[in-house]
Amino acid sequence: MTHSLLPTSHSPPHSGPPIVSVRDLGMIFPVPGGQTVALQDANLEIMPGEFISLIGPSGCGKTTLLRLMADLISPTSGQLTVNGGTPRQAREARSYGYVFQAPALMEWRNVLGNVRLPLDVMNTPKDSRAARAREMLRLVGLEKFERSYPWQLSGGMQQRVSIARALAPGPALLFMDEPFGALDEITRENLNLELLRLWRETGKTVVFVTHSISEAVFLSSRVVVMTARPGKIEGIVNIDLPQPRGEESREDPRFFQYATEIRELLRRGHE
Amino acid sequence: MSEGGSGKWVVGSGNGQGRVQGMTTLPASTPRRVRRPSNLLPMLAVAVFAALIYWPVMLFANQGAAQKALDSGADLGCKTALACATQLRNPVIPAPGQFWVGMRSLSAQPFSATAAPYNALVTGGETLLGLGLAVVVGLALATLLVRSRSFERATLPWLVASQTVPVVALAPMLAVLLGQAGVQGFLPKALIAAYIAFFPVTIGMAQGLRSPDPLQRDLMQTYRASGPQTFLLLQLPASLPYLFTSLKVAATAALVGSIVAEISTISFSGLGKMLAENSRASDTVALWVIMVYGAALGIALVALIGLLERAVTRWRPVA
Repeated sequence: MTHSLLPTSHSPPHSGPPIVSVRDLGMIFPVPGGQTVALQDANLEIMPGEFISLIGPSGCGKTTLLRLMADLISPTSGQLTVNGGTPRQAREARSYGYVFQAPALMEWRNVLGNVRLPLDVMNTPKDSRAARAREMLRLVGLEKFERSYPWQLSGGMQQRVSIARALAPGPALLFMDEPFGALDEITRENLNLELLRLWRETGKTVVFVTHSISEAVFLSSRVVVMTARPGKIEGIVNIDLPQPRGEESREDPRFFQYATEIRELLRRGHE
Repeated sequence: MSEGGSGKWVVGSGNGQGRVQGMTTLPASTPRRVRRPSNLLPMLAVAVFAALIYWPVMLFANQGAAQKALDSGADLGCKTALACATQLRNPVIPAPGQFWVGMRSLSAQPFSATAAPYNALVTGGETLLGLGLAVVVGLALATLLVRSRSFERATLPWLVASQTVPVVALAPMLAVLLGQAGVQGFLPKALIAAYIAFFPVTIGMAQGLRSPDPLQRDLMQTYRASGPQTFLLLQLPASLPYLFTSLKVAATAALVGSIVAEISTISFSGLGKMLAENSRASDTVALWVIMVYGAALGIALVALIGLLERAVTRWRPVA
């Protein structure tokens, strides 16, 4: 199911066993008077260190797939392993961080307190929590705002806090569900750049849900194109733009070719 | 992990939300404290308005009683009903001078057993104790309601029914029952206040405990948070604003409850006991003075809860 217009190697950038493995995965939701096939026969292997984007129109099951990986819901058919075990085991081992569509900050905690939240829940050594939270805030450039409360921050800053929060326990896997979807273009492009830097520096595996083609091409090592009704994987596009990427990557002729390729896959699924 | 390049995060980059403006100048400290405009001036404006209409309303209200007294041949030392309206012994509405005299005589020795301030403190104490009990009971009930749908289905109708029992019916019964157990005075009134206040607190807290949005719950799930952790770190703090809103509603109702309880049971102190005594003596001026004390007590209670709210929910922007 791998499509590429370009002569590229299809092997993932890292070797070893996949960190996420999706086999014939299906998810059916009951709805009044019937059922919705949110995901059908999904197959995907994600290698450690990859940046994978799931892209598609609303209703294509991309968020469902991410929530399945995170064990926030359970599949109705197929197999799924995360970090070598079941999604339940991965969640209970706290082996991933999740960034939601909305920042979902605790409004009664200041910025530092919000980043510290997972450490409080996981009961890490008390004296190191604040230092760890500050380190994460430096990583997202918000160290000057540690005592601010969420309502005092812009939407982009709130989402950066939620990214710092997801990184705080040091998970190897990062699930991001349209984290920048509610932000304006300029903020989004800045955050994209910073996310790429974080990914490069931390070596984490990122699974990123988006409905923006250019965001997916810019960020990803592979883009999983999904289509709706029923939600399924239409194709997977390798993005062989050189790393490290910067603003100039957006001008690369291959950038446009990849974008076109994804658009055609999306359109094909629509017909 | 490196901190390199963190400067590239553009602070509030054109997000288009008003509060972003000036974010960069906001010190990294506690939330901005806007000095809250005082309530005093608007309150005074209402007082001035009330004073202006007080005189004609008072004359109108007392005229009938004055005419009746004149017709019966009483010697009031005045000729016309209008002139006598400010001289009645038991006026419908006291003239300012009469009110002032009554106020002075009931407040002169504030801590004597017959003085209004002392009795107001007793009633206030009963109400506060009742509110405290209501918070404990309300939080416990709300937690159970939120935890279990079947508990909610089984108890909610009874909780509603409990609020339809009139205090005047309940108070003497409770006083008798507690009296048999040797409990008298302060506690029965506080229990009545709690009985009235626990309901809004329960409903408010249940709403508050349910208020965290689904994403926040999912977030706690990704951390494998335990039930008690989710309760303490998410639900309880999220419910605090609801608690204070319902407490403000409950406070005035609980105050009325304490006063009614004092009236309808054997009482040795409290505003209700003063109301009962003075109504038997037909001392309308004293009744008006006690009413004003009751109103002031209600304002003080709600203000106290407001102060507590500001102190506990410090994270919230000043409204």
